[in-house]
Amino acid sequence: MLFSDARKSDVVSIGTATKVGRVDGFVVATGPARVALLRVGKAQGDGTLVSWADVQGFGSDAVTVADTAVIRVPSDEWEQRSDSRDLDILGKRVLSERGDELGEITDVDFDPETGAVTTFITGKETIGGDRLIGHGRYAVVVTVDPSA
Amino acid sequence: MIPPSPTSAILLRARELAGRPVVTLGGELEAEIKDVVFESDGGPVAGFTLRNEGLFSRARKDALPWRAVHGVGRDAVMIRDVEQLVPAEELAPKKVARKGNVLDDRVLTDSGRELGTVLDVVLQGGAGLDVVGYEIEASEGLGTAGRRVFIPLPDTVAVSGENLIVPASAAEFVSEDLSGFGAAVDEFRSRLREGRDEGEQN
Repeated sequence: MLFSDARKSDVVSIGTATKVGRVDGFVVATGPARVALLRVGKAQGDGTLVSWADVQGFGSDAVTVADTAVIRVPSDEWEQRSDSRDLDILGKRVLSERGDELGEITDVDFDPETGAVTTFITGKETIGGDRLIGHGRYAVVVTVDPSA
Repeated sequence: MIPPSPTSAILLRARELAGRPVVTLGGELEAEIKDVVFESDGGPVAGFTLRNEGLFSRARKDALPWRAVHGVGRDAVMIRDVEQLVPAEELAPKKVARKGNVLDDRVLTDSGRELGTVLDVVLQGGAGLDVVGYEIEASEGLGTAGRRVFIPLPDTVAVSGENLIVPASAAEFVSEDLSGFGAAVDEFRSRLREGRDEGEQN
């Protein structure tokens, strides 16, 4: 599933069968590359983040969670940066670990079952999720293309 | 997985590196390259001085030693993390000062012929960033007076020093473009090595 397709999906509570929020963004963690957090908007209360572990189902029509309590506030510095979109991966430049720019990330393909990132898509090419080394405010850093 | 060598075997001008962003493997912009720091006895570069990013930024008190460099690419110099930066004086400030002396210096052959004045230092990537030549503004002696040309250096020559003396045979390996210069450096150096071997045999 692509970030672009999954964005704006409703977040639905299984407990109350009601919409409790909307997917606004994705936070990718490294080692291995995976969706670690969903950034959720239009939720009641102060919470803005849902851990991937608290996602019960990531379907094509909705994301289900046990109840609204899983929508929480940032718990550490990294989550705060995630919340402020500092670590958003879409639109970010990609650098190889050698320092060559490989374009900007236009979309990300992930496995809705596991949250694993399968590919990063730039204007020019697709980059396997297993090539992710790290990402910060300035860039997403990936290994040198093994086939090049 | 085999870690790649820090740079591909590209040729680049030392001055091109100025302003290049210094980025951690964690994707954070830490600084910009200010200047290349050369070892006084030639060979690979010692590292880089840094400045904060932005047009009117000041020089920083820390510097990037070569051992902390993970990659030197077209668009960024990559480092593992900021912990490996060292105080700028540790990277020998005198070496930095000498770099300025090289630019605009005359290049003379060991037979006393002037080849031109130095415009830039040419570096080659690989396991280290090696000094392989000068970009010079050619003087009358080269027959291409006024043109910018590249002249190869022996692998043992010092970048610094008051007199930039190169072997007379260097003039035979002058290139007019950087892309053809790599082959010229290789040929020149292998010629010097052959000469050295013959000398040892005699």
